[in-house]
Amino acid sequence: MKRKMANREKTFWAVTIPVLILFFTFNTLPMIKGVIYSFTNYRGYGTYDYVGFRNYMDLFTDARVGKSYLFTFKYALAGTVLVNVISLIMALGLNSQIRFKSALRGIYFVPNILGGLVIGYIFSFIFTYILPAVGDMFGIGFLQNSILASEKYAWIGVLIVGVWQAVAMNTIIYISGLQTVPQDVYEASMLDGASKWKEFWKVTLPLVLPFVTINLVLSTKNFLMVFDQIVSLTKGGPAQSTESISYLIYKNGMDGGQFGFQSANAVIFFLVIVAISIFQMTVMNKKEEQL
Amino acid sequence: MAKRRIMKGIPAAVGIALGAAWLAGCGQSEASGKVEVELVSYKPEAVEAFEEIAERFNEAHDDIHLTIDSPNEAMTILKTRFIREDYPDIVGIGGDINYSNFLDADLFMDISDLEETGMVKQSYLDMDKELEFIPQEGIYALPYAANAAGILFNQDMFEEHGWEIPETWEEFTALCEEIDASGIQPIYLGYKDTWTCLAPWNALAVGLTDSDTCSQVNMGNTTFSETYRETAEKMKDLLAYAEPNPYAYGYNDACTAFARGQSAMYPIGSYAIPQIKSVNPDMNIGSFPFPANEREEDNVLNSGIDLQFCVMKNTENKEAVYEVLRFLYEDETIQIYLDSQGGISCKMGEFELSKELEGMKDYIENDRMTDYQDHHYPSEMSVDAMIQTFLLDDSEHAVDTFLQRFDTDWKRYNRDLIRKVQQYQQEEEEVQ
Amino acid sequence: MKEKKKTNWVLTIVLILGTVTVFFPLYMAVIIAFKQPSEMTNDVAGALAFPAKWSLDNFRQAMEVTDFWRSLGNSLLITLTTIVLAVLLHSLAGYVIGRGMAKKKSFRVIYLYIVSGMFVPFSILMMPLVKQTAQMGLGNRAGVILLYLVFYMPMNVLLYTGYMKNIPMALEEAADIDGASTWKTFWKIVFPMMSPMHATVAILTALGTWNDVMTPLVILSGTGQNTLPLAQLNFQTQFGTNYNLAFASYLLALIPILVFYIICQKQILNGVANGAVKG
Repeated sequence: MKRKMANREKTFWAVTIPVLILFFTFNTLPMIKGVIYSFTNYRGYGTYDYVGFRNYMDLFTDARVGKSYLFTFKYALAGTVLVNVISLIMALGLNSQIRFKSALRGIYFVPNILGGLVIGYIFSFIFTYILPAVGDMFGIGFLQNSILASEKYAWIGVLIVGVWQAVAMNTIIYISGLQTVPQDVYEASMLDGASKWKEFWKVTLPLVLPFVTINLVLSTKNFLMVFDQIVSLTKGGPAQSTESISYLIYKNGMDGGQFGFQSANAVIFFLVIVAISIFQMTVMNKKEEQL
Repeated sequence: MAKRRIMKGIPAAVGIALGAAWLAGCGQSEASGKVEVELVSYKPEAVEAFEEIAERFNEAHDDIHLTIDSPNEAMTILKTRFIREDYPDIVGIGGDINYSNFLDADLFMDISDLEETGMVKQSYLDMDKELEFIPQEGIYALPYAANAAGILFNQDMFEEHGWEIPETWEEFTALCEEIDASGIQPIYLGYKDTWTCLAPWNALAVGLTDSDTCSQVNMGNTTFSETYRETAEKMKDLLAYAEPNPYAYGYNDACTAFARGQSAMYPIGSYAIPQIKSVNPDMNIGSFPFPANEREEDNVLNSGIDLQFCVMKNTENKEAVYEVLRFLYEDETIQIYLDSQGGISCKMGEFELSKELEGMKDYIENDRMTDYQDHHYPSEMSVDAMIQTFLLDDSEHAVDTFLQRFDTDWKRYNRDLIRKVQQYQQEEEEVQ
Repeated sequence: MKEKKKTNWVLTIVLILGTVTVFFPLYMAVIIAFKQPSEMTNDVAGALAFPAKWSLDNFRQAMEVTDFWRSLGNSLLITLTTIVLAVLLHSLAGYVIGRGMAKKKSFRVIYLYIVSGMFVPFSILMMPLVKQTAQMGLGNRAGVILLYLVFYMPMNVLLYTGYMKNIPMALEEAADIDGASTWKTFWKIVFPMMSPMHATVAILTALGTWNDVMTPLVILSGTGQNTLPLAQLNFQTQFGTNYNLAFASYLLALIPILVFYIICQKQILNGVANGAVKG
């Protein structure tokens, strides 16, 4: 028996090592090069000089970077919570005894595949023309001006679209999670006469908890790295109020000549997200084990 | 036994590698006795004109084969190709900060021995000179076509009401008042897309400041607080004549609104004409330079190099490349490009000007033109967004806040450059 | 048992009403795809009105501009190959890491290492990757596929290991006792049991690769190989966008992935019907 386990372990390593090599070569290695660039004033081409920790020192004094962190975290927190609540409800709904199940699942999936150009045009139109028209008609002051043009509320516009698009993906994951819940568990709880509400909290949720973890990690990551919605809706405006970290890294690092500086930004950002995610996974793991 | 197990873990990786090799084998290779010249242009909208030009060139030459590629996202592609050290022979780019940066990175060849450089309008040669961070010996670009920015107006509307083309700032504001009084929106702004803030900004700034403002600042001779105040104030004044809350509407909205007759004027560049015409093909659009000053003779047209050709330093076929440039610079070839893209020729001589730009003709013919100020701004500084922020700022000190920020941010984003420039200056002084 | 089959009509209706949030924007996209540029307006009523003429002309033109069948072929090749390899490789990795993690700390570290790769902003990787792939002769479609396999590895490993937590050890242990190798146990027993997750991984990977612009843009530039999203950039230039053609093209590009999604959804349900997963 011992031998057997040893062989099992060997197989494990035989799989893991090539995977690790592949991953290292195309993820870690370029990342290390990026880290090296973060100590230079590289523009993305041509010559460059090493500037020591200057980029990192600058990061902490750069008001624009600071603002982008504030926006991104506010956005990610709201987005993660909203998306997970909505997706879980959607998944439960789409997984229960309803008609037109396939069609409905297909329809709710569409937002996730519409290209950025379409999303940008349609939602800009809705926020700029349709909602203000509705606001005028019913005298709703809040809606009368395009929220995308408001320094205070533009982020909510971006958030609405972000959530609208993200729900599809997280719903899929929740649905596949719900498939792992054996039917007899429900049958048992029905016999107990548990209410639907109670059944959800006592039976379903604990069983899909690993998927809650996955969804939390994935949606936090996706919202923290928000980029597409910014590009298609606001391009960081109005008054630079919706510049996300990824947007800044891309725009100034790739389009602009700040590759070195934005690499430093990316390194710090990476460390921050990893820390958040490990924290999430650890907390959730403890929860999973308790149950 | 154990070894066999390990071996079994690898097929996946091997499979990938094999697949990779197979796909790589699909790459095409073309062999012919001709010298290949590759030109990458950053204007995908001109792809048809370029195809025609390349075809004509290849018909006329049996020793050289020219390929013109105008991909989308060309700047990203060019930058990645530079990283790969996979250089084309010629690049067609704009006369903007990218040119300055590429030149500073020592990517281009001096082409002053090409006769055609002597046929370029002086103001465009000067613009390229001013784009050099550190003054260089020689000529590194062949300016081809230019665009111009100022004010586009609805000709039919102007005729119907008998409005006159304003020549001074005072006349302009008076005209706006008059248009407003007749119940029509004087101008439309698409400030949701921040870059459109730069259109009136540049057009005003060329008239109100010196063309070398940015390099003067880099040399420490002046500040933006001193030079940009009037431009900033007039930018604010414009808001009074625009639709309410212009930050809600993008470039596309503004083009559509102007095309639909929702405003009489639109402060933007000649590049917007095709988009406007796509919505309203029959529209009669006129144009005039931005009347930024109190005296007509102080006004300058805002025009910049939209397309110029630079030869990569690494090219191995200088002679063939020069042949291509000569061909591109023939009047006939230029006219093909202009017919398809509109705009202004950078070469001296008689070229047909599109009728929308007739109103700018005097300025063009008399070479009263100055480059866009933003061609000197580093894109990462996002001056466009700063202007939008400033315009949204309703407080009393908005102008001061903005100009101060302009100065401090400029120093921060151009730190390495300023050091370089001042070092160069010092060296120059020492030599003397 | 019969009682369970009863349709929940209230929920069905609520969910149908909810589709307005999808159909309204989709409706706008569809009518724009049929309109002419000269029909574009900022007027709400005008924007929501039907096109003057229902003609497939925009679609035909859009297909011409994007060299549709060729670009579609490339997109399909890249996406499908990526999906197949991702399901095979990532499920294996997810299984090994998931099971290894339960016993050994070293696998836990490997898990965190790979998953953390998900958080590296692409912008920082792009430049070095461009150089690296060029040097390795991978500046082609194979290179793009390989990069996708690495980019989606963290997410997929996260998904598969999460799924492994809900697959009991008992079956594997039984196979083990029967003398089957771990390798065989995986392909014969575990892999089929993962099928709902395969479908999920396939969808998510497909979504990411199908619409991706950046990777093919920087890796494939100059090879003459276009994917659909790359070809669709043709509709946009700095100073003008042909929304009508673009929308027609986007709607066309949406169909294959929607079909693929619906097939995968069936797969997720079949996994349950087969009773493959039991507590």
